[in-house]
Amino acid sequence: MTGSLVPATRDSLALLLLAMADDEFVIGWSDSEWTGIAPLLEEDVAMSSLAQDELGHAKALYELLAELEAEAGSADAGSADADAIAYDRPPEGHYHARLLDHAPTDWAATMARRFLYETADAVRLEALADSAWRPLAELVAKLRREERYHLLHVSTWLERLAFRDGEPRRRLLAALDDLGPDASTVLAPLPNELALEMAGIVARPSRDLEARWRAAIGPTFERLRLPMPPPLADATGARSDHSDAFRRLWADATSVRASDPAATW
Amino acid sequence: MTDPRALEPVLPESERAALRFNDPRLGEDARYDAFVEHVRAGGKVEATDWMPDEYRQSVLRFVEMHANSELMGVLPERDWILRAPTLRRKLALTAKIQDEVGHAELLYRVAEDLGKSRQAMIEDLLAGKTKFHNVFHYPTRTWADVGVIAWLVDAAAIVAQQALRDSSYAPYARTMRKICWEESVHIMHGRDVMVTLATGTRAQREMLQEALNRWWPPLMQMHGPRSPREKDRDLFWRIKAKTSEELRQEFLSIYVPRIWELGLTLPDPQLGLDPATGDWRYTEPDWDELRTVVTGHGPASQERLGFRRLNWSEQAWVRGSLVAMPATAA
Amino acid sequence: MTALEPYEVFRQEKEGDAMRHGGNVMAPDPALALDYARELFGRRQESVRLWVVRRADIAVLEDPDLLQPPLDRSFKKPGGYVMRDKLAAARERAATERPNE
Repeated sequence: MTGSLVPATRDSLALLLLAMADDEFVIGWSDSEWTGIAPLLEEDVAMSSLAQDELGHAKALYELLAELEAEAGSADAGSADADAIAYDRPPEGHYHARLLDHAPTDWAATMARRFLYETADAVRLEALADSAWRPLAELVAKLRREERYHLLHVSTWLERLAFRDGEPRRRLLAALDDLGPDASTVLAPLPNELALEMAGIVARPSRDLEARWRAAIGPTFERLRLPMPPPLADATGARSDHSDAFRRLWADATSVRASDPAATW
Repeated sequence: MTDPRALEPVLPESERAALRFNDPRLGEDARYDAFVEHVRAGGKVEATDWMPDEYRQSVLRFVEMHANSELMGVLPERDWILRAPTLRRKLALTAKIQDEVGHAELLYRVAEDLGKSRQAMIEDLLAGKTKFHNVFHYPTRTWADVGVIAWLVDAAAIVAQQALRDSSYAPYARTMRKICWEESVHIMHGRDVMVTLATGTRAQREMLQEALNRWWPPLMQMHGPRSPREKDRDLFWRIKAKTSEELRQEFLSIYVPRIWELGLTLPDPQLGLDPATGDWRYTEPDWDELRTVVTGHGPASQERLGFRRLNWSEQAWVRGSLVAMPATAA
Repeated sequence: MTALEPYEVFRQEKEGDAMRHGGNVMAPDPALALDYARELFGRRQESVRLWVVRRADIAVLEDPDLLQPPLDRSFKKPGGYVMRDKLAAARERAATERPNE
């Protein structure tokens, strides 16, 4: 299985898993902040489920990454469990897309960001559905089934916010204006991704995924008269140029765990 | 199409059967007496039944306070979602708080069917006109607080809630059965957090003991002062079934031994089981503190209400967008 | 406030079980009502099927004349057929007529 992967391919795969896991972790953790204070009680419960799903997906992806690193006999194999990978890196070591660094300012921004992310993630997962690396293909099959509910729910909200003039639409447009330039960071090319394509781990390169994503959301954006996100101006730093807001939150988020790294919680 | 009712044999209203207290032919007093007899004998009441005003208002007030408590109860804990030290704890805590919001949703629904809109209830809560339980007026300071709240505060609540599963007001009783089932998971999560800390490093054990010392007084006040059974109208109407003292005794008898077996102490030198009576003795809780706190003067009361007010008004536009959507092709 | 309406939710816990009423949710339309019902009764995998019905669309029958009509109807229920004494008599009689069986 992973023993048959050459080191370069394995490293690229590790980077892909990290990117996906960090994306799910940050959006899950960010949206879980709505728990208890969402605009409507029913929606509070729904958004919390979406956030928990993402955290669960992140956990599964971190576990897969830990498995990959353990089999490779990497230096950190002994401590490489999902929690360690999730928590014990400095902010600069986090590999999530810059789109997810934007802390949502309101409900419209949360829904806009989620729509942009979920639709891009769906395209990414589709390209992994027949992955030559079986553990990933199996996990992706489960993730895609769970993500169906996410896509249904955020699509409902995008329609609801956009469909007529007024404050909801105005806020949605403002959010898309703010988030748009970073929307394509989710599917920005990963270093050495050609190795993954050649090994059959991913079905197509990132620039193809980007085109598919735009084709998927285009008709909806056109029908709702929403501006398409602009192309990514600069792909460097798409996953590493994190905001100060993220750094501050990160310090708070790891404070309990960091108080005693040897402890069991 | 012919209205089927037009074919009904012409039986005058006065000769049709009606559930006793629902019978509009009886006078108010007769209906009231029939209702009291029904409820005192263990009978159930549905949302569409006739009820005396006192009963309707009593149930509404009771359920409203319960709903308010669930809604305010999320605030002490939600800060810790961000800081949860493992992925599993983060998931468990998020799920727990989600459940509390779900409980608020269920309980406001029950109260709403009695005639007060959810909007009015939330506005009254935010204006300080209605109350929520004392424990949610206190700040949380450490991760250990999360364990203490999830285990012991929820345990004290569940002792009360189990007794409500047989409430005379059936929609509330049914809701309580669902809520109790969900709360039992929270208690297990909370106990797991506490046991993990109790068997952890010295710093963790100290953090836990400190949190427990801080939370014990509000916990002891939670079920309220002793009041005579005969004077309790909520007991009369069988909205609830047990007195404050019965609930407190039940809580102590189950949970004090479980706390002590972890090697933890409780900050009450008088606390102990009296072998002669079978009751738990304890230092009389500070009922002045309880009164002060539930009227909005607790250490975190105004901060939390202020936070909710701000949040409520900032999100009002979203509620305004909740109009029926035409069914789309998508 | 807005056009929120109650939707009643019926759930089936496992294949073959009866649909049972679980509670209700407020929603502006059937699409969100389904999502909210899922949250209330399906977020922890506790149901295999949900029926979500707008409360206003439910026809209610509570009339005692129709549901609890006054005359005896025991012939329509198992409890209306008490045979204990008759069976005892029949067995006793059969035993005396054929003592060696």
